[in-house]
Amino acid sequence: MAGRGAGGGGRKTRNFATFRLFPRAGAADPNDRVFVRVDNNDYNVPGFADEDPFDSNFTADAADLHSFASGPLPEHVRREILELGLPDDGYNYLSHLRELRPAASAASSFVPNSTARPEPLPLDVKAYDASRVRVAPSADDLDEGKTMCKVAAKTAPLRRVQRALDPDVARLLDESDFSHGGSEDEGLEEDFVIMANQAEGDDEVEEEEEELGNGIFSDVEEEKEEEEFEDEPKPRVRRLLDEQFDLLALEEYGDSDDDDDDRGGRDGDYELPSEAIEELKLFCDQNGCVDEDYRTPADFVRGRLESTTADEVDESANVIQKCAEYAERYLNEPAEEKETVLVSESSDESEVWDCETIVSTYSNLDNHPGKIETPGNRRKRLPRVFPGETATTNDLIKLHGKEKLPVDYLPQRKRNGEKEKKVKPAEAFNAEKVKKEVHKETKEEKKARKAAVKEEKREARKAKKELKGLYKSETQKAQKVAAVTGPSSIRLIEACYGHCNSSTAMLTEGEQ
Amino acid sequence: MAAAAVYGAGGAMKGGKLGMEGAVDMQLNRIRITLSSKNVKNLEKVCADLVKGAKAKELRVKGPVRIPTKVLHITTRKSPCGEGTNTWDRFEFRIHKRVIDLISSPEVVKQITSITIEPGVEVEVTIADV
Repeated sequence: MAGRGAGGGGRKTRNFATFRLFPRAGAADPNDRVFVRVDNNDYNVPGFADEDPFDSNFTADAADLHSFASGPLPEHVRREILELGLPDDGYNYLSHLRELRPAASAASSFVPNSTARPEPLPLDVKAYDASRVRVAPSADDLDEGKTMCKVAAKTAPLRRVQRALDPDVARLLDESDFSHGGSEDEGLEEDFVIMANQAEGDDEVEEEEEELGNGIFSDVEEEKEEEEFEDEPKPRVRRLLDEQFDLLALEEYGDSDDDDDDRGGRDGDYELPSEAIEELKLFCDQNGCVDEDYRTPADFVRGRLESTTADEVDESANVIQKCAEYAERYLNEPAEEKETVLVSESSDESEVWDCETIVSTYSNLDNHPGKIETPGNRRKRLPRVFPGETATTNDLIKLHGKEKLPVDYLPQRKRNGEKEKKVKPAEAFNAEKVKKEVHKETKEEKKARKAAVKEEKREARKAKKELKGLYKSETQKAQKVAAVTGPSSIRLIEACYGHCNSSTAMLTEGEQ
Repeated sequence: MAAAAVYGAGGAMKGGKLGMEGAVDMQLNRIRITLSSKNVKNLEKVCADLVKGAKAKELRVKGPVRIPTKVLHITTRKSPCGEGTNTWDRFEFRIHKRVIDLISSPEVVKQITSITIEPGVEVEVTIADV
């Protein structure tokens, strides 16, 4: 009823409002939509519209920005624009911001830039990377020369310096350098065994071990080592003995073994079980190599199944003696006594047959072991080999006559008649006619004969053309096959013509 | 809008009905939701959801009215050049439209439409007086 209020002249009052769902600009999710008014009527629907007319921004700054459309942007807006790195030219770039979609940020954002080159230094500045230099904790013992050498050895000149954009990023970068230090390079400390066995109370020694473990810097640590372990001034390389000595020291002066279980995981990566630690200790102390249950195959063969005691392997004299003993035993003992049999590996493999086993080294291209042929009259007949006919066509069964019978393989009757008919068509007439009167009929007969021959030839030519067309594809295929497998001297296409000829000749004969 | 006028004529009756009901205090409007899409399946799904939601809130719903679908035809030559047999492609673009009428307050409608939206379905809501 409100619709009819205006009357006839003007437009009817439009008391409605139309809204459309649009995806929110700058939204991460395309399904995040808001209602936007799309008409210009005066009708107001309180509470439905989500925001002002649709050409404005959706942020809280919208109202401010509208009022500032011509003037300068409000301060907080400008600050934010600057923080993003965008220029401060009076345009509100914030309206073009978009939220990151969660999937996009997880998968694709922030790939390290492989082509970015750090900025080159200005010409009056030289930079050195001194991150690997270790400053000795006690500076008293070092003289300047040594320090300078160490520093020089560890620093590298830089030609480019990467400048971080953000002070936060730069700070983070600096922090990470300190925490990782030198141990980024080696995954596991060299003397993790010692560290695992280390007494917890021994903080001094612990620190030292860590320094030793880093292993890059020789001078500083060597000095320390010399200070503490005066009995054994060894070069750096002999780690085994170092460990042995440490274990010995630990045993005599250190804590009990119970601590080892707790601190197995000092590094966090590697944890030795206590049994392993004890074994290692045994190993280090006794300098031996063998447990009670260790056997070699040689032991089985020689019958030495009893436990071999932990002999000292290092002594060469002993070894020679033992070898001599073995040799004696080997000569004297019969080999059959022993139960265990050592089987050589190769026999296992050769017993298994696979498709690559070679039966003969002759190639089948040249070597044709006897061919199996069709049984029957094959060899009794005269071999009819037409020129160009290959072995491939010899085993075809030819069908002749109206009934298309395989004539060669039928039980034989009237061989003479057949033979005459097939083998010598041209001469058959001659043979017959000669018996008759010779003179007068010779001309006529000659004419007849010649006409007949001509007819034959004409028909043969026709049939040949027909068959050639029909079988051209076949000959091409056969030629392909022959090109791969058969001897190349044979040309099948012509051979096929020959075959066609022979077959047509037979057909015509059969019909006649 | 002609439709609005038609409804305006029937508005008195509806207003009467509303008066009888009485319990509903909030302001009611006639609301027409027009859904259009290329994709019938999504469209039908959204329609069904809307109707279901409205019925759950006990509103008066005029069930989805199916406007005849508009088919836009584009017929082009298949060939990029002029050569060859003159074969033509016939493409078509179908727009399906459904209309649902409700009588309720705008807030409720906002709730309903915010829940059920498939991609590809365009929603237009027209609010008029009861």
